[in-house]
Amino acid sequence: MSALAHYLEAEGLPAVAISLIRLHTEKVRPPRALWVPFELGRPLGAPKDQAFQTRVIAAALGLLEAASGPVVLENFPEDDPTAIDAPNWQPPFDLTAGMPDLGDAAALDRALRQEVLAIAPFHERFVASSGRTTIGLSGLTIDECAARLAVSLSGLSPAAHDPAVSPAQALRWAVDDLKAYYLEAMAADGAMPSSRQMQAWFWDRTLAARVIVALRRQLLASEDKRSQAIGRMNLVPGAQVLRLGLQ
Amino acid sequence: MVRMTDLPPPTQTSMANLECPVFTSAPFVSGPPLAKRRVAVVSSAGLLRRGERPFVSGDTDYRAIPIDTPADQILMSHVSVNFDRTAFQRDINVVFPLERLQAMARAGSIGSVAATHYSFMGASDPRGMEANARAVAGRLKSDSVDAVLLTPV
Repeated sequence: MSALAHYLEAEGLPAVAISLIRLHTEKVRPPRALWVPFELGRPLGAPKDQAFQTRVIAAALGLLEAASGPVVLENFPEDDPTAIDAPNWQPPFDLTAGMPDLGDAAALDRALRQEVLAIAPFHERFVASSGRTTIGLSGLTIDECAARLAVSLSGLSPAAHDPAVSPAQALRWAVDDLKAYYLEAMAADGAMPSSRQMQAWFWDRTLAARVIVALRRQLLASEDKRSQAIGRMNLVPGAQVLRLGLQ
Repeated sequence: MVRMTDLPPPTQTSMANLECPVFTSAPFVSGPPLAKRRVAVVSSAGLLRRGERPFVSGDTDYRAIPIDTPADQILMSHVSVNFDRTAFQRDINVVFPLERLQAMARAGSIGSVAATHYSFMGASDPRGMEANARAVAGRLKSDSVDAVLLTPV
Protein backbone atom coordinates (compact mmCIF):
# COMPACT_ATOMS: atom_id res chain seq x y z
CA MET A 1 0.00 0.00 0.00
CA SER A 2 2.80 2.40 0.90
CA ALA A 3 4.66 1.51 -2.30
CA LEU A 4 1.53 2.22 -4.37
CA ALA A 5 1.32 5.63 -2.68
CA HIS A 6 4.92 6.27 -3.71
CA TYR A 7 4.27 5.32 -7.36
CA LEU A 8 1.12 7.49 -7.57
CA GLU A 9 2.86 10.46 -5.97
CA ALA A 10 5.79 10.05 -8.38
CA GLU A 11 3.26 10.48 -11.20
CA GLY A 12 2.14 13.77 -9.66
CA LEU A 13 -0.90 12.48 -7.77
CA PRO A 14 -1.13 13.43 -4.09
CA ALA A 15 -1.74 10.19 -2.16
CA VAL A 16 -2.26 9.22 1.47
CA ALA A 17 -2.11 5.64 2.67
CA ILE A 18 -3.92 4.16 5.62
CA SER A 19 -1.37 2.00 7.44
CA LEU A 20 -2.29 -1.14 9.39
CA ILE A 21 1.29 -2.41 9.82
CA ARG A 22 3.24 0.57 11.07
CA LEU A 23 6.56 -1.28 10.75
CA HIS A 24 6.11 -1.69 6.98
CA THR A 25 5.14 1.95 6.55
CA GLU A 26 8.23 3.05 8.49
CA LYS A 27 10.38 0.97 6.13
CA VAL A 28 8.77 2.03 2.83
CA ARG A 29 8.32 5.70 3.81
CA PRO A 30 5.38 6.69 1.57
CA PRO A 31 4.67 10.42 1.11
CA ARG A 32 1.91 10.40 3.73
CA ALA A 33 0.31 7.74 5.90
CA LEU A 34 -2.11 7.51 8.78
CA TRP A 35 -1.43 4.55 11.03
CA VAL A 36 -4.62 3.13 12.53
CA PRO A 37 -4.69 0.75 15.55
CA PHE A 38 -7.27 -1.53 13.95
CA GLU A 39 -7.49 -5.22 13.19
CA LEU A 40 -6.09 -6.34 9.85
CA GLY A 41 -8.94 -6.22 7.33
CA ARG A 42 -10.50 -3.09 8.83
CA PRO A 43 -8.69 0.00 7.53
CA LEU A 44 -11.66 2.20 8.48
CA GLY A 45 -12.15 0.46 11.83
CA ALA A 46 -15.77 0.03 12.79
CA PRO A 47 -18.33 -1.47 10.41
CA LYS A 48 -21.68 0.35 10.21
CA ASP A 49 -20.32 3.36 12.11
CA GLN A 50 -20.50 6.19 9.61
CA ALA A 51 -19.25 8.85 12.04
CA PHE A 52 -16.21 6.79 13.07
CA GLN A 53 -15.28 5.90 9.50
CA THR A 54 -15.65 9.52 8.43
CA ARG A 55 -13.27 10.62 11.21
CA VAL A 56 -10.67 8.16 9.94
CA ILE A 57 -11.05 9.37 6.34
CA ALA A 58 -10.93 13.02 7.42
CA ALA A 59 -7.77 12.40 9.45
CA ALA A 60 -6.13 10.63 6.49
CA LEU A 61 -7.16 13.18 3.86
CA GLY A 62 -6.18 15.97 6.25
CA LEU A 63 -2.56 14.87 5.84
CA LEU A 64 -2.80 15.97 2.20
CA GLU A 65 -2.95 19.53 3.45
CA ALA A 66 0.13 19.14 5.64
CA ALA A 67 2.76 21.50 4.34
CA SER A 68 5.75 19.70 5.81
CA GLY A 69 6.94 16.66 3.96
CA PRO A 70 7.84 14.38 2.36
CA VAL A 71 7.14 11.47 4.68
CA VAL A 72 4.29 12.30 7.01
CA LEU A 73 3.33 9.45 9.37
CA GLU A 74 0.65 10.22 11.93
CA ASN A 75 -1.27 7.99 14.35
CA PHE A 76 -5.06 7.84 14.50
CA PRO A 77 -5.92 8.37 18.18
CA GLU A 78 -9.07 6.22 18.55
CA ASP A 79 -9.52 2.48 18.89
CA ASP A 80 -12.19 0.55 17.00
CA PRO A 81 -15.13 0.36 19.45
CA THR A 82 -16.40 -2.84 17.77
CA ALA A 83 -13.15 -4.75 18.30
CA ILE A 84 -14.15 -5.93 21.77
CA ASP A 85 -16.20 -9.07 22.36
CA ALA A 86 -19.96 -8.65 22.59
CA PRO A 87 -21.03 -9.80 26.09
CA ASN A 88 -22.83 -13.16 26.16
CA TRP A 89 -23.02 -13.36 22.39
CA GLN A 90 -24.32 -16.58 20.88
CA PRO A 91 -25.05 -17.17 17.19
CA PRO A 92 -28.75 -17.37 16.36
CA PHE A 93 -28.49 -21.07 15.52
CA ASP A 94 -27.07 -24.18 17.16
CA LEU A 95 -25.32 -26.73 14.97
CA THR A 96 -23.83 -29.04 17.54
CA ALA A 97 -26.13 -31.98 16.77
CA GLY A 98 -24.79 -34.77 14.57
CA MET A 99 -21.14 -34.81 13.53
CA PRO A 100 -20.68 -37.63 11.02
CA ASP A 101 -17.62 -39.76 10.44
CA LEU A 102 -15.56 -37.76 7.95
CA GLY A 103 -14.60 -41.02 6.24
CA ASP A 104 -18.21 -41.81 5.31
CA ALA A 105 -18.58 -39.77 2.11
CA ALA A 106 -22.34 -40.16 1.74
CA ALA A 107 -23.05 -39.34 5.39
CA LEU A 108 -20.70 -36.37 5.25
CA ASP A 109 -22.30 -34.96 2.12
CA ARG A 110 -25.74 -35.35 3.70
CA ALA A 111 -24.75 -33.79 7.03
CA LEU A 112 -23.00 -30.83 5.41
CA ARG A 113 -26.03 -30.13 3.23
CA GLN A 114 -28.23 -30.28 6.34
CA GLU A 115 -25.97 -27.83 8.17
CA VAL A 116 -26.05 -25.44 5.22
CA LEU A 117 -29.83 -25.77 5.02
CA ALA A 118 -30.23 -25.06 8.75
CA ILE A 119 -28.42 -21.75 8.36
CA ALA A 120 -30.27 -20.66 5.22
CA PRO A 121 -33.02 -18.62 6.94
CA PHE A 122 -30.40 -16.64 8.86
CA HIS A 123 -28.34 -15.98 5.78
CA GLU A 124 -31.45 -14.87 3.90
CA ARG A 125 -32.17 -12.39 6.68
CA PHE A 126 -28.60 -11.10 6.56
CA VAL A 127 -28.88 -10.49 2.81
CA ALA A 128 -32.32 -8.91 3.14
CA SER A 129 -31.12 -6.44 5.76
CA SER A 130 -27.67 -5.64 4.36
CA GLY A 131 -28.64 -5.73 0.69
CA ARG A 132 -25.61 -7.75 -0.29
CA THR A 133 -23.57 -10.90 0.15
CA THR A 134 -19.84 -11.37 -0.41
CA ILE A 135 -20.40 -14.91 -1.69
CA GLY A 136 -19.50 -15.34 -5.34
CA LEU A 137 -15.81 -16.10 -5.93
CA SER A 138 -16.41 -19.76 -6.80
CA GLY A 139 -19.24 -19.19 -9.25
CA LEU A 140 -21.11 -21.98 -7.45
CA THR A 141 -24.28 -21.97 -5.38
CA ILE A 142 -23.77 -22.62 -1.67
CA ASP A 143 -25.15 -26.14 -2.06
CA GLU A 144 -22.62 -26.72 -4.82
CA CYS A 145 -19.83 -25.32 -2.63
CA ALA A 146 -20.75 -27.75 0.15
CA ALA A 147 -20.91 -30.62 -2.34
CA ARG A 148 -17.50 -29.66 -3.75
CA LEU A 149 -15.94 -29.80 -0.28
CA ALA A 150 -17.49 -33.18 0.46
CA VAL A 151 -16.48 -34.65 -2.91
CA SER A 152 -12.94 -33.28 -2.60
CA LEU A 153 -12.56 -34.80 0.85
CA SER A 154 -13.73 -38.17 -0.45
CA GLY A 155 -10.78 -38.10 -2.86
CA LEU A 156 -12.87 -37.83 -6.01
CA SER A 157 -12.17 -35.09 -8.51
CA PRO A 158 -15.03 -32.61 -8.66
CA ALA A 159 -16.47 -31.86 -12.07
CA ALA A 160 -14.29 -29.17 -13.65
CA HIS A 161 -15.83 -25.72 -13.35
CA ASP A 162 -13.26 -23.71 -15.27
CA PRO A 163 -10.38 -25.45 -17.04
CA ALA A 164 -8.15 -22.40 -16.44
CA VAL A 165 -8.45 -22.84 -12.68
CA SER A 166 -6.64 -25.59 -10.77
CA PRO A 167 -8.80 -27.91 -8.65
CA ALA A 168 -7.09 -26.65 -5.47
CA GLN A 169 -7.75 -23.02 -6.41
CA ALA A 170 -11.38 -23.80 -7.25
CA LEU A 171 -11.68 -25.61 -3.92
CA ARG A 172 -10.21 -22.59 -2.11
CA TRP A 173 -12.86 -20.28 -3.61
CA ALA A 174 -15.61 -22.74 -2.64
CA VAL A 175 -14.18 -22.71 0.90
CA ASP A 176 -14.12 -18.88 0.86
CA ASP A 177 -17.75 -18.75 -0.21
CA LEU A 178 -18.83 -21.29 2.39
CA LYS A 179 -17.01 -19.43 5.17
CA ALA A 180 -18.66 -16.17 4.07
CA TYR A 181 -22.05 -17.89 4.16
CA TYR A 182 -21.61 -19.02 7.77
CA LEU A 183 -20.09 -15.75 8.99
CA GLU A 184 -22.71 -13.61 7.28
CA ALA A 185 -25.47 -15.79 8.77
CA MET A 186 -23.96 -15.23 12.23
CA ALA A 187 -24.37 -11.50 11.68
CA ALA A 188 -28.10 -11.82 10.87
CA ASP A 189 -30.47 -9.43 12.61
CA GLY A 190 -27.76 -6.83 13.17
CA ALA A 191 -25.69 -8.90 15.59
CA MET A 192 -22.25 -7.34 16.17
CA PRO A 193 -20.01 -9.99 17.74
CA SER A 194 -16.26 -9.42 17.45
CA SER A 195 -14.41 -11.19 14.65
CA ARG A 196 -12.66 -13.26 17.32
CA GLN A 197 -15.99 -14.53 18.63
CA MET A 198 -17.26 -15.36 15.16
CA GLN A 199 -14.07 -17.14 14.13
CA ALA A 200 -13.88 -19.16 17.35
CA TRP A 201 -17.49 -20.27 16.96
CA PHE A 202 -17.06 -21.20 13.32
CA TRP A 203 -13.86 -23.19 13.82
CA ASP A 204 -15.00 -24.88 17.05
CA ARG A 205 -18.63 -25.64 16.34
CA THR A 206 -19.34 -26.32 12.68
CA LEU A 207 -19.03 -29.37 10.51
CA ALA A 208 -17.95 -27.08 7.67
CA ALA A 209 -14.86 -26.09 9.66
CA ARG A 210 -14.04 -29.72 10.45
CA VAL A 211 -14.22 -30.50 6.74
CA ILE A 212 -12.00 -27.52 5.86
CA VAL A 213 -9.41 -28.62 8.43
CA ALA A 214 -9.47 -32.14 6.93
CA LEU A 215 -9.10 -30.70 3.42
CA ARG A 216 -6.11 -28.69 4.61
CA ARG A 217 -4.51 -31.91 5.84
CA GLN A 218 -5.27 -33.57 2.52
CA LEU A 219 -3.73 -30.74 0.46
CA LEU A 220 -0.64 -30.66 2.67
CA ALA A 221 -0.09 -34.34 1.84
CA SER A 222 -0.46 -33.67 -1.89
CA GLU A 223 2.53 -34.06 -4.20
CA ASP A 224 1.50 -30.94 -6.12
CA LYS A 225 3.34 -27.90 -4.74
CA ARG A 226 0.58 -25.40 -5.55
CA SER A 227 -1.96 -27.61 -3.78
CA GLN A 228 0.38 -27.83 -0.78
CA ALA A 229 0.72 -24.04 -0.73
CA ILE A 230 -3.05 -23.52 -0.80
CA GLY A 231 -3.42 -26.07 1.99
CA ARG A 232 -0.71 -24.44 4.07
CA MET A 233 -1.75 -20.81 3.60
CA ASN A 234 -5.23 -20.34 2.14
CA LEU A 235 -7.81 -22.47 3.92
CA VAL A 236 -7.37 -22.05 7.68
CA PRO A 237 -6.25 -18.70 9.16
CA GLY A 238 -2.88 -18.80 10.91
CA ALA A 239 -4.45 -17.75 14.20
CA GLN A 240 -6.78 -20.77 14.05
CA VAL A 241 -3.97 -23.14 13.04
CA LEU A 242 -2.22 -22.02 16.21
CA ARG A 243 -5.31 -22.04 18.42
CA LEU A 244 -6.47 -25.47 17.23
CA GLY A 245 -2.96 -26.93 17.46
CA LEU A 246 -2.92 -28.02 13.82
CA GLN A 247 0.31 -29.24 12.26
CA MET B 1 -7.46 -2.97 19.01
CA VAL B 2 -4.88 -4.99 17.14
CA ARG B 3 -1.22 -4.15 17.05
CA MET B 4 1.78 -6.22 16.02
CA THR B 5 1.93 -7.75 19.49
CA ASP B 6 -1.70 -8.87 19.14
CA LEU B 7 -0.95 -10.96 16.06
CA PRO B 8 -0.09 -14.67 16.30
CA PRO B 9 3.69 -15.13 16.68
CA PRO B 10 4.15 -16.69 13.21
CA THR B 11 2.34 -13.72 11.65
CA GLN B 12 4.46 -11.29 13.67
CA THR B 13 7.59 -13.00 12.40
CA SER B 14 6.51 -12.97 8.76
CA MET B 15 5.45 -9.33 9.04
CA ALA B 16 8.79 -8.37 10.61
CA ASN B 17 10.78 -10.26 7.99
CA LEU B 18 8.79 -9.13 4.96
CA GLU B 19 11.12 -7.51 2.47
CA CYS B 20 9.88 -4.00 1.72
CA PRO B 21 10.83 -1.83 -1.25
CA VAL B 22 13.27 0.97 -0.49
CA PHE B 23 13.01 4.17 -2.51
CA THR B 24 15.80 6.63 -3.08
CA SER B 25 13.43 9.43 -4.09
CA ALA B 26 10.68 10.98 -1.97
CA PRO B 27 8.02 12.56 -4.19
CA PHE B 28 5.69 14.98 -2.45
CA VAL B 29 3.01 16.87 -4.36
CA SER B 30 0.90 19.68 -2.98
CA GLY B 31 -2.61 20.59 -4.05
CA PRO B 32 -5.61 22.79 -3.39
CA PRO B 33 -7.64 22.68 -0.17
CA LEU B 34 -9.55 19.43 0.41
CA ALA B 35 -12.86 21.13 -0.23
CA LYS B 36 -11.77 21.58 -3.84
CA ARG B 37 -10.21 18.18 -4.42
CA ARG B 38 -11.51 15.20 -6.38
CA VAL B 39 -10.89 12.03 -4.35
CA ALA B 40 -10.39 8.42 -5.47
CA VAL B 41 -9.90 5.22 -3.50
CA VAL B 42 -7.16 2.79 -4.45
CA SER B 43 -7.35 -0.37 -2.37
CA SER B 44 -5.06 -3.38 -2.08
CA ALA B 45 -7.90 -5.58 -0.82
CA GLY B 46 -8.26 -7.62 -4.01
CA LEU B 47 -11.65 -6.14 -4.84
CA LEU B 48 -13.40 -6.95 -8.09
CA ARG B 49 -16.79 -6.83 -9.71
CA ARG B 50 -18.89 -9.99 -9.87
CA GLY B 51 -18.08 -11.91 -13.01
CA GLU B 52 -14.48 -10.70 -13.18
CA ARG B 53 -11.65 -13.16 -12.61
CA PRO B 54 -10.70 -13.24 -8.91
CA PHE B 55 -7.11 -12.41 -7.99
CA VAL B 56 -4.71 -15.30 -7.45
CA SER B 57 -1.30 -15.48 -5.81
CA GLY B 58 1.27 -13.32 -7.56
CA ASP B 59 -1.19 -11.11 -9.46
CA THR B 60 0.09 -7.57 -9.90
CA ASP B 61 -2.73 -6.24 -12.08
CA TYR B 62 -5.74 -4.26 -10.95
CA ARG B 63 -9.51 -3.98 -11.32
CA ALA B 64 -11.37 -0.75 -12.07
CA ILE B 65 -14.60 -0.17 -10.13
CA PRO B 66 -16.88 2.62 -11.41
CA ILE B 67 -18.57 4.74 -8.75
CA ASP B 68 -22.03 3.54 -9.79
CA THR B 69 -21.19 -0.14 -9.17
CA PRO B 70 -23.78 -1.43 -6.67
CA ALA B 71 -22.19 -2.63 -3.43
CA ASP B 72 -23.66 -6.09 -3.92
CA GLN B 73 -21.64 -6.41 -7.13
CA ILE B 74 -18.28 -5.97 -5.38
CA LEU B 75 -16.37 -8.98 -4.02
CA MET B 76 -13.05 -9.45 -2.26
CA SER B 77 -10.50 -12.01 -3.46
CA HIS B 78 -7.34 -11.18 -1.53
CA VAL B 79 -5.30 -14.40 -1.33
CA SER B 80 -4.47 -14.09 2.39
CA VAL B 81 -6.82 -15.61 4.96
CA ASN B 82 -4.99 -13.88 7.82
CA PHE B 83 -7.16 -10.79 8.18
CA ASP B 84 -10.71 -10.10 9.23
CA ARG B 85 -13.36 -10.31 6.52
CA THR B 86 -16.40 -10.09 8.80
CA ALA B 87 -16.33 -6.28 8.91
CA PHE B 88 -16.26 -6.07 5.09
CA GLN B 89 -19.11 -8.57 4.96
CA ARG B 90 -21.21 -6.33 7.21
CA ASP B 91 -20.21 -3.01 5.67
CA ILE B 92 -18.29 -2.49 2.44
CA ASN B 93 -17.32 1.02 3.57
CA VAL B 94 -14.92 -0.38 6.17
CA VAL B 95 -12.59 -1.19 3.25
CA PHE B 96 -13.99 0.65 0.23
CA PRO B 97 -15.60 3.83 1.58
CA LEU B 98 -17.24 5.28 -1.53
CA GLU B 99 -20.52 6.02 0.30
CA ARG B 100 -18.59 7.85 3.01
CA LEU B 101 -16.72 9.94 0.44
CA GLN B 102 -19.96 10.78 -1.35
CA ALA B 103 -21.41 11.98 1.97
CA MET B 104 -18.30 14.08 2.58
CA ALA B 105 -18.67 15.59 -0.91
CA ARG B 106 -22.32 16.43 -0.22
CA ALA B 107 -21.25 18.06 3.06
CA GLY B 108 -18.59 20.07 1.23
CA SER B 109 -15.58 18.72 3.13
CA ILE B 110 -14.15 17.35 -0.12
CA GLY B 111 -14.82 18.65 -3.61
CA SER B 112 -16.04 15.53 -5.44
CA VAL B 113 -15.62 11.77 -5.77
CA ALA B 114 -13.86 10.17 -8.74
CA ALA B 115 -15.83 8.40 -11.45
CA THR B 116 -13.72 5.24 -11.16
CA HIS B 117 -11.81 3.63 -8.29
CA TYR B 118 -9.22 0.84 -8.33
CA SER B 119 -8.06 -2.26 -6.50
CA PHE B 120 -4.86 -4.24 -6.50
CA MET B 121 -4.22 -7.42 -4.47
CA GLY B 122 -1.71 -6.55 -1.79
CA ALA B 123 -0.18 -9.96 -1.12
CA SER B 124 1.97 -9.64 -4.24
CA ASP B 125 5.33 -7.88 -4.28
CA PRO B 126 4.48 -4.20 -4.81
CA ARG B 127 7.56 -3.70 -7.00
CA GLY B 128 5.81 -5.83 -9.61
CA MET B 129 2.86 -3.43 -9.50
CA GLU B 130 4.82 -0.32 -10.46
CA ALA B 131 3.90 -0.19 -14.15
CA ASN B 132 0.25 -0.87 -13.36
CA ALA B 133 0.25 1.70 -10.56
CA ARG B 134 1.64 4.31 -12.93
CA ALA B 135 -1.05 3.35 -15.48
CA VAL B 136 -3.70 3.81 -12.79
CA ALA B 137 -2.21 7.23 -12.02
CA GLY B 138 -2.73 8.16 -15.67
CA ARG B 139 -6.34 7.03 -15.58
CA LEU B 140 -6.95 8.95 -12.35
CA LYS B 141 -5.42 12.12 -13.73
CA SER B 142 -7.59 11.88 -16.84
CA ASP B 143 -10.55 11.89 -14.40
CA SER B 144 -9.11 15.08 -12.82
CA VAL B 145 -8.41 13.29 -9.52
CA ASP B 146 -6.03 15.18 -7.23
CA ALA B 147 -6.31 13.18 -4.00
CA VAL B 148 -5.96 9.40 -3.52
CA LEU B 149 -6.90 7.48 -0.38
CA LEU B 150 -5.18 4.11 -0.23
CA THR B 151 -6.87 1.41 1.83
CA PRO B 152 -5.11 -1.86 2.71
CA VAL B 153 -6.47 -4.92 4.49
